[in-house]
This record gives sequence, C-alpha cells and structure tokens, in this order.
Amino acid sequence: MDAISRVAHERAITRRDFLRSVAIAGAGSQLFSFAPALALQPQRDRKVVVVTFGGGARDKETFAAEGQENIPHLIRELIPQATFFTQVVNRGILGHYVANASIATGVYERFDNFAHVAPENPTVFEYFRKGLRRPAQDAWVIAPSNGFNRIGQSSGALFPGGYGAEVVLPKELLASAAQREDMHPESLDFLLQDNYENPFLVSPSLHADTQLDRLQQILRISVKEIIAHAGTLSSADELSVFVMEQVMRQFSPSLLWITLHDMDVAHSGAYSLYIDAIQRTDRLCAEIWQKIESHPEYKGRTTLVILPDFGRDSDFDGAGNGFQHHRTGDALSRTTWIMALGPGIRENFTVDRPVESVDLVPTIGSWMGFETPYAKGRPVTEIL
Amino acid sequence: MIRPQTLTVKSFAHYPPQAQAFIADHLAVLQQIPVPLLSILLAQIIHYDSRFPAEQQTLARQLHSLKEMLAAEFAALMAPFAALELPDDLARMDWVQNPRRFNERLSASLWSTHQIDAYREAGHKYEERLADALNGEAPAIPRLAIVIVGNGASQTSRTLFRDLRPHGALFTAVQPAGTFDALVACVNKRAQTHPERYAHWYIDGGTPRSDCGEAQGITVMSYRELAAFAFKELNLMNRFAGNPQMQTPAGPEEVTSYMASLGPADLGFSERQGDPVLHEFETSIFTEGAGTQVFSTTFVQWSAREALRRAQPVTLLARFCPRQMMAPMSVLLKRNPFTQAMDPQGSLIDADMGAWYTWINQARLAGADQARFLVWFEEHELALAISPSLPRGTVSASAVTMQQVLQWMD
Repeated sequence: MDAISRVAHERAITRRDFLRSVAIAGAGSQLFSFAPALALQPQRDRKVVVVTFGGGARDKETFAAEGQENIPHLIRELIPQATFFTQVVNRGILGHYVANASIATGVYERFDNFAHVAPENPTVFEYFRKGLRRPAQDAWVIAPSNGFNRIGQSSGALFPGGYGAEVVLPKELLASAAQREDMHPESLDFLLQDNYENPFLVSPSLHADTQLDRLQQILRISVKEIIAHAGTLSSADELSVFVMEQVMRQFSPSLLWITLHDMDVAHSGAYSLYIDAIQRTDRLCAEIWQKIESHPEYKGRTTLVILPDFGRDSDFDGAGNGFQHHRTGDALSRTTWIMALGPGIRENFTVDRPVESVDLVPTIGSWMGFETPYAKGRPVTEIL
Repeated sequence: MIRPQTLTVKSFAHYPPQAQAFIADHLAVLQQIPVPLLSILLAQIIHYDSRFPAEQQTLARQLHSLKEMLAAEFAALMAPFAALELPDDLARMDWVQNPRRFNERLSASLWSTHQIDAYREAGHKYEERLADALNGEAPAIPRLAIVIVGNGASQTSRTLFRDLRPHGALFTAVQPAGTFDALVACVNKRAQTHPERYAHWYIDGGTPRSDCGEAQGITVMSYRELAAFAFKELNLMNRFAGNPQMQTPAGPEEVTSYMASLGPADLGFSERQGDPVLHEFETSIFTEGAGTQVFSTTFVQWSAREALRRAQPVTLLARFCPRQMMAPMSVLLKRNPFTQAMDPQGSLIDADMGAWYTWINQARLAGADQARFLVWFEEHELALAISPSLPRGTVSASAVTMQQVLQWMD
C-alpha cells in the first residue's frame, strides 16, 4: 500500500466513523454491495448532474468531526439519501482546470493547468452525444471562467469533432452583459471573482459578447434579467447556479455539469473566507438537489453526483501552508469523497473501498448506456 | 546539458562573494548531487549572502553530512533523484545560472509527468536521513512563541484555540488589563538576557509598539510599515501583467517568475535605512507569499511561518490585527487596505488558524519538546499556554494574571 493509499484508507475510516457518529449512514463493504435491480440495464432517459464541490476542500473543514458544522446540508439532507464513497483518490495534477478536465475525461490529463487548451482525451460529453446521438443542447457545462472554456470538448486528436458540450462561463456572461448595459456597479464585482490562484491571469478573449447574444437567444433571458438577478446574489457560485437553473428550465439537458469554485478564495490565506465559501457551497448543493426534485423533467430520473476536484494541503506538511494551497501533492490533498443520489442508488450507504476520481466517466457511461473507450477509470459497481 | 560533475568554482562566477566561497568549500560534494536536488540547494546558496545565520549554518551542516556519508548510503539517498526523468528542454536549461527558474519548470514537469510523488518520497527520505543536520541543536533557552489574536473583535461564539487545546492549558479568566504589557516585557527580557541577532522577533499586523523593537534587540516587522512596499509590488505586477507591448497577456508562469525576480530595490527598500538581510526577507514575504499584500492577517501568519522556518528565533511575538473586508481580487489588488472597512470577526477566525500554524511551525524546530507557546485573545480573558511544565488538555477558570501564566510556563 503506497502512502497515498494508506492515508486515503485512514481518511475513509475517519469519514465513516463520523457518519456513524451522527447515526445517519449504514456502513457497507464490497462484500455486501450489489447492483440494485433498477440499474441493471442502462436507462436511456436517465439524467445525470455532476457537481464539483470546488475548488479544493479538506476533510478538516468538511467531513472530519470539527468540520461538520460547515456542511449541515450535505450531512442532514443529502447523505441520508446517498451512497457515499469515503476513499476517493485523485492521482493527477492538482490544478482546478486540469483536475476537472481529468474527471470529465476519465484520464489524468497532463497539460499545464493554466494553459488555454482542450483536454487531449475525449470528454464524457462527447462520448454521450456521439454514443446516444444526442443534440448539442443535451449536454451542458457551467464553469468558472479561469480556463474552463475548453473543457466541453477534447482537442480532437482521439475523437471526431462536433460532439462537445455547450459551455457557459457565467462570469464572462455577466461581465459582457454589464458592459453592454454600460454599467459596472460594485455590487456585481463579487460575482466576477475569478482566479484566486493567479489573480493577474487574464483569460483570452472568449468572444463573450457573441456568446451573450447566443445565450440570450437560446436561454430566452434578457441582458436586463441577467443583470437584475445578479444584483440579488452574493457570489460567483450563486451566479453559476442561477445560470444552471435557466439551462434546466430551457433545455433540461440529460448531462449537466457544474463546477463550483468559491472556496478557492483560500489562496488569499484568509481562513474565514474559505469557511464561508464551504458553507455556501454546502447550501448550493442542497439547492441544486431541490431544483432537480422540483423539476418535472428531472424529478425521479436524475442521478446527482457531488465530488470535490481534490483536497488542499495538510496542516502538517512542511512544504505547504495548510489550507491555503494545494501544491504539495501530499496524500490528504489527493484524498476526497464522492456521493451519489437518485433513483437506483442505495440510500444511506457507505462504501469504504478505494476508488479514483477518473472512475466517474465510465460509471456515467454505464448508467446512460454509452461507451467510454479512452477512459482509464473503471465503473463503480456499487452504484451501477 | 550541464552535468554536476563538470562544475568548477568558475561555474559560479556570477554568484555573490560569500556564496562563491561557500561553494568552493563544498564543491566536491555538490558535484555528486543529481540535478533535481542540486538545483534546490543552489537556489538557496545563490542567496547565501543575504540569508540569516541559521540558514547559512543549516546549509553548511547539510553539506557536511553528505560529505561524511558512506559512499553506498550516499548513492542510495541520491538514486531516487537521479532516476527522475527530465524532458530535453528542461535538461538543456542553465540550472546553475538561474536555479529558481529551473526549479519552477522542474516542478511543472514533475507534476505533468506524474513524477511528483516519487520526488516527494525522495525528498522525505532525504529529510529523514539528514534530520539532525537540518534541525541543528536545541537553542540555549527554550523557544517561546506568543500569538495575540482578535484585536478589535468582540466576544465570539466560535470555539477558539480548538486545535491547540489538547496540547496545552486553557485559561478562561486571565485579567486582560496589563496583559499586552506583560507579554512585551517578557519578550524584551528574553532579548536582553540572551542577545543574539535575529533571535527575537516581533511581527505586528497593525502598528507596532514602540517599546518592543530594535532598541530592545528585537527584529520588528509590521504590516503598517511594510504595506507601502506591497503596493509597489502590486503596481509593478499590474503593469507587467497588463503590458500592452506584450503580444499575448502574461501567463501565470511569467507573472510568478517576474514576482520572484523582484528584489528589495524594486520594491523601494533601497530608500529605507536598515538591515539588508531583513529587507531581503521582507521582500520575500510579498514576492513569495500569497495574500500577504492585501490581508494583514495573512501577512502575520506567513511572516511568522517564514521567520520560524528561516531565522529560527528563540522568541517570537506575533500579533494579528483586523484585515480589510473582502472584495474582488481585482479591487483588492488596487486599493489602499487602510482606508477600507475592517472585518474584525473574520480576522479573529483567520488569526485563530494562524496561531495553530505558528505552533506547528515552531514545533518543527530543534528543541520542540522544550518549546513554550502562548496564545491570547486580545483584551479578553481567554488564553492558552503550552509548556512542558503545564498539564495538557486542561482548563483553568481561576482568575489569573498573564504574569502568573508566564511564570507557570517557565
């Protein structure tokens, strides 16, 4: 057992013990796992929503005993309905874009996190659309704008072009809308928070103005409406969830991916802001599930998956500075969790065996009935 | 590619004088070290002239230990570093002239080629084997770190010092009046009785007290006095990142390299009288620390960490003060933090974590088993003390003065 696996196992015990301590989850193991009958065959009308609980959260502030106060919605509302994997390892590069791209391709991508490049390997969106012959607007990504504009479709080296997801970068959208209205009220600044790790990084032109026109047209929401609603929000992630709701209302895509990012404010070194962001993300996850359960196109046929892209550095690794960054590659920064909930997913169930974040793509493929030939991960049997 | 075995003293002709002399003394062992480790050492040696005495001594002990090591053991220790595969473009870089730049590229390469875990493992083995050399001997007097948190914050429902409580004694009825004075008197007394350069530090997130400074033999840093240099750095970075003459916007690697290349003169320290070694250190707090420029709480935490890691003081007084309210990064990087609304309650939480990290960083130094640590909620009755003389995980609700607590810690 290597060091990462050993720590992942220790973390698993901690998470499971915690779940037991609050008496809400039954613990299981591979011996007791089986495929629920409902899921024996892929469901062509199944919908999948993936939420990355980002960017970068540690156990200490979430599932460790002292962190539980920060995630009441996950603990009390979602986990009782979910299968929870206590031992999820990310063995890839711990940068947010490249890590999310790796989760989306099922392969540990190797590109520079800050390069404006597409993933080399095909994305789950491309597998889904080509495999099931789905239209472009059946797969959407809502993501922070720090480089994520290329996450919807691979570079094309391994897969034919034209099967990518629609990608919305809400902050780009809002900035463009505000510019068009010739306004930039300070109240919107918080929603435009972008890259905490490299605040001087300037994203290349994303043709946001063109995208705004197009999205106005297809989402049927006006610039004024975007601006007006944005004024009621307090964070970039809240804006992302708002845009997600518009996408659900207008297109009800079968595959929807939203990347939350507020908690990466930790790079500023202010622990209180990091905690605030975790608490907000916890609330937003519950709201996303509520939106799913109250939407006629989603209710009863949607699997929600929530997973952090990775953790953050341990307090005790001298190469790092604790929660502030995710640079050491220590075992704690690589070890996270996954929860899945929805029809066919066993409720209130804990799985301790190790899985990897790249296992998600083949699992989604099994759920929805498409092949994922280039993905390196393996389907997670406990939730098939 | 430059091979370590081919290095001569002339290879380091552009290094500062003391660094050159140090290399001349240790060239034979340096020639035997694989590039991925040697470049890390050179990145420290190139700044040898402006390093604290503790850092210079650590480097010397480290190379001495390597020199004295049995050949087989040395080879086994170096083998994992030698086994790392470097891409051609990296191998062709001049890691002697610019080791820092090389190390940045090396780090990126190790991540992208999935060799970072092997590198970490090699590093851990190296640190374990050289622990005695890296740590040095315990100081003549037990170390003492004092952290003051919560300036301007009202009583809080948050459980303060949660991580520290198992390690020390919690005092819930410390008389607040006169406590700050008592702590300063304690620091001053230690500096007076054990005078040594860079052995006693005071880092303040606001305006420092005038009775705890250079005259008392104490190295002082404060956010109030240094923020102007942070503004200068931010202005330079804004200018660099937005330089219209660049064909493409500066990427993060360029910005990071540019920041790291800034020296005291770039930030305006040359106009300030004082200690060039300290100015180098102060510059590094802004050029290597994230958030230190805009949040006084981050400034204190990172400065305390770096002071402990590099100068290895026997006394440290770190006082957190309120930081400015959060704002978008683009705004934070341009506005004056002293004219903004403050966030004392959020700053208390930041400082609480900062105290925990300060204790961890102190515990990494030699003599940790005898070290003393104290944290106090400013103007409040709550304090926690860690000392071999105090029972761990205990709570005292008796009315006490800070002088009494300090006596019990001795």
